[in-house]
Amino acid sequence: MNQKLVMVIDSAKCIDCKGCVAACKQANGVGRGVWRNWIKEAVPPVLADGRLGRGHFQPGACMHCDEPSCVGACPTGATYKSADGSVVIDPKLCIGCGNCIKACPYGARFRDPVKRIADKCNYCPERRAVGLPPACVDTCPTKARVFGDMNDPDSEVSKLLRANQGKVVRIVAKGHDTKPNMYYIASTAPDGWAVKPVDPLSFDALSGLIGPAVKAAVGLSGLGVLAMLGRQLLVSARGEGKDAGPGAGPDAGKEDRHG
Amino acid sequence: MSATNDASLTRRQFLRLAGATAAVSAAAALDPAQAAQTAPAAPHVGKPQWESKFGVCDMCFNRCGLIARVDKGRIVKLDPNPKFTKSRGMLCARGNAGVDQVYDPDRLKTPLLREGKRGEGKWKAISWEEALSLCAAKMKDIAAKYTRCGMLFSAGADMQSQFVNRFAEAYGSYNVTSHESLCLLSGSRAFLDTFGEVPQPDVINSKYVILAGANRMEALVTPDSMDLVTIMKNGAKVVALDPRYTKTAALASEWHPIRPGTDMAFMLALMHVIIAEKLYDSQYIKERTSGFERLAAHVADKTPEWAAAECGVAAADIARIARELAAAAPASMVYPGRRTSDYENSTQIRRSFALVNALLGNWDRPGGLVPARPTGLKKAAPFEAPFYDDNPTGRVDMKIVPLLFDDEGSFVITRDCAIKAAPYPVKGWFVYKTNPMATAPERRKTREMIAQLEFMVVADITMSDTAWMADLVLPMPSALERQDPVQPLQAGAEGACLVFRDPVIAPLHQSRPVFEVMKDLAGRLGFPEAFAFDIPSYRRQQLAAFPEAEQTILRDGVFYPPNPPLGATDGQPFKTTSQKIELVSQRYEGLGLDALPVYTPPKPAPDDKRRFRLVAGRSACVTQASSTNNALLSEFEPENTLWLNEDAAKELGVRHGDVVEVESPAGKGELKALVTPKIRRDTVYMLSGFGVISGGLSRIRGKGASIVELLEGRFDAICGNSAIHETYVSVRRKGAA
Repeated sequence: MNQKLVMVIDSAKCIDCKGCVAACKQANGVGRGVWRNWIKEAVPPVLADGRLGRGHFQPGACMHCDEPSCVGACPTGATYKSADGSVVIDPKLCIGCGNCIKACPYGARFRDPVKRIADKCNYCPERRAVGLPPACVDTCPTKARVFGDMNDPDSEVSKLLRANQGKVVRIVAKGHDTKPNMYYIASTAPDGWAVKPVDPLSFDALSGLIGPAVKAAVGLSGLGVLAMLGRQLLVSARGEGKDAGPGAGPDAGKEDRHG
Repeated sequence: MSATNDASLTRRQFLRLAGATAAVSAAAALDPAQAAQTAPAAPHVGKPQWESKFGVCDMCFNRCGLIARVDKGRIVKLDPNPKFTKSRGMLCARGNAGVDQVYDPDRLKTPLLREGKRGEGKWKAISWEEALSLCAAKMKDIAAKYTRCGMLFSAGADMQSQFVNRFAEAYGSYNVTSHESLCLLSGSRAFLDTFGEVPQPDVINSKYVILAGANRMEALVTPDSMDLVTIMKNGAKVVALDPRYTKTAALASEWHPIRPGTDMAFMLALMHVIIAEKLYDSQYIKERTSGFERLAAHVADKTPEWAAAECGVAAADIARIARELAAAAPASMVYPGRRTSDYENSTQIRRSFALVNALLGNWDRPGGLVPARPTGLKKAAPFEAPFYDDNPTGRVDMKIVPLLFDDEGSFVITRDCAIKAAPYPVKGWFVYKTNPMATAPERRKTREMIAQLEFMVVADITMSDTAWMADLVLPMPSALERQDPVQPLQAGAEGACLVFRDPVIAPLHQSRPVFEVMKDLAGRLGFPEAFAFDIPSYRRQQLAAFPEAEQTILRDGVFYPPNPPLGATDGQPFKTTSQKIELVSQRYEGLGLDALPVYTPPKPAPDDKRRFRLVAGRSACVTQASSTNNALLSEFEPENTLWLNEDAAKELGVRHGDVVEVESPAGKGELKALVTPKIRRDTVYMLSGFGVISGGLSRIRGKGASIVELLEGRFDAICGNSAIHETYVSVRRKGAA
């Protein structure tokens, strides 16, 4: 059976130390001002006597969805769902059009300011190749982030999910469950980072065409590719391209209780 | 997809391929079930060709074990060493940023000689030979003119600092200060004078922990920070007292925004409840403590209601916490804390912490306070310190406070004495990897001390604020480029561990470790016998008790010496005058000090303008001024802000992000306001490590304000530790009338 690589996060253990973010940046050479992962702080509750109640921090990153809106939004096929469950960006195919960035309801993608292409968490394939966990997981002081193969019943993630049945939460986009593969053990989640995905034009065009019309879709997509290539060159020449980073947008997300 | 792995593809070819791939993804988007069957493999990724080498982190004092991934002689990543259990297999953001410390373009590259005025920033690169010969000549000159005690040596928390102290001893100066008198001495004094030694908290086995001001979720201490999370997960209770809603306060079981400076009132009331309700083990108290009756009388009127009026924590909460704490005893504690440089009576405040622990009977018990675990380390390269009969009778800072730590001194008092040249002049200063210009309160006084020096040399990795004021600056290697002696580290009840460092990469630039500098200078100054060893032989002497230790450290990065079980000290005398836990301190009584901690309310604000008490602290991404200029960490903490309560801000007409002028009798600062409900109305907070004066810290120059421009140079009346929460400041919006 194929692997299904997922992350299980016990966000009650997160102390917001930024270790995972720093480790990710070092491991992946993520540029200044952009982030492949993050920790979001919930607005603390106010107790009856006016004191602030218990706070909560929530680590996040690309959730490698089973129904990723970014994949359909990609005009070149650079972004795809791979056999191990990870959503992959092939840097050689990405033209930096930014469609996927807008299509991701979780703000997990950004345009690399140097390479001018889309970037996001890739579960550190280089580290996995030598048997190490992703950098964020390896470094986490409280082991709030756990990584592994959900299809392997003996993996740490499977055990955690089994042990916490009924307490596992996913963050999903408003009105559009992309089936994320990041599982949170805890009842609370900071609001505001799952927003309604923006369907780019090319995605709209594709989704209007069902199965048999795939050839037409290819043609349309190709047009989009050319248009976007032109745009990307223009944008890079002007030195722009500040796409919304993680957490952009005020629209509240919702929680989805599992199991 | 394999075709796309061909790097020779042109962009046009991508586009053609893109069409085909888009079809796949379109299909995938429409039918997930089908996608699962047809999903392409992730691109093949080659194995990284790195070598893995053990190291010990140097981004703070914790010394976490790490593994450096080195690719063709360049460190590409630092990872936690899973066999280093003290840090529970973690490396924090700062540890990860250690790579950027090594390759920081701001690093010092050659010895630098000052050309302009002190602090003007004009430097000339000179050779090591010139630098060392100048250093030796100046040290000889100062010894001749002012005695050897005319040289002050200040070394920070570093695995080679012992060589600076050894050099000072051999050279003949008593005047050595460390970072500790700007940090933890008050707590050490209090616990030492109560239990006869400074204990380690056994957090992992504790069921109830009171954190009074200790912000463990941000000011990380391994393993305590991680263990607090673990024990809460397992049902233990953690109570945080802090005027600020820190991340510790946010994550604790409960948070009480205590009025600053009133922790002792809270502790006395805990003792009142525990004694009044007989929640202690009377047999234990009788056998192991002295002065219980006097303590009982002392706290008889310190009711929760009394304390509530002082500290702002509800009386019912205080009484409940006392009962819960006692019910969990002995696996419960008032966490001793690390930085205790808060108030002029901090030793007495911390004595009250120690006494609650004594009543809990948690000494040498799981989940309580445990004696430091044996390290088995031997003293290496012993030498006979010479005696110079022209020297004065003691340290320059002696006799100002009654219980100075002789080997640590007090930086604040030493500075006052140097300025006054009383009881004798201090005219030379050797500084190694510590930065009083950025960490010692009342910077203008540090400037004053420096102004009267005849020679000042700073050895560091970058141009710190202190280096910026020096006459001579020596470039040091980072901890990943050095060979270091064995360092013992404590980790609660689970035992000490031993580590050393070997270079992960060759030293960069012209850096030389301070050991070599000291050894060279010892030769030039005529006492080579004090450094008649190299580091490998020194280490072997340190590890003489454990023949297997060196190989184990080379194999695992760490060695664990045997750890006796807890309770081994039962029935043995405590190392105090009474040989018991001194609830009443006989030593203090003899010195005319309060033998029991006597509560005095914190000094009120001097006037309506200067009504905010300034408290300082840390974030998990900042180790004071040594890390704020780091390329990676400066992304997390690009500047500091003034935390200002939202109601107070409204009164002052300050909005979030406004630049505010902060003023105290010590000085002024300007920084942005962070308007928040997360701090009391009477308190403001700022992070240390900003408002630098050095021109050699390119990323943070001009960012934020420095705590040491604002804090007054007060000190603990018993041990001379810095007292940095005694300052009231005024705050106003910049440009406001």
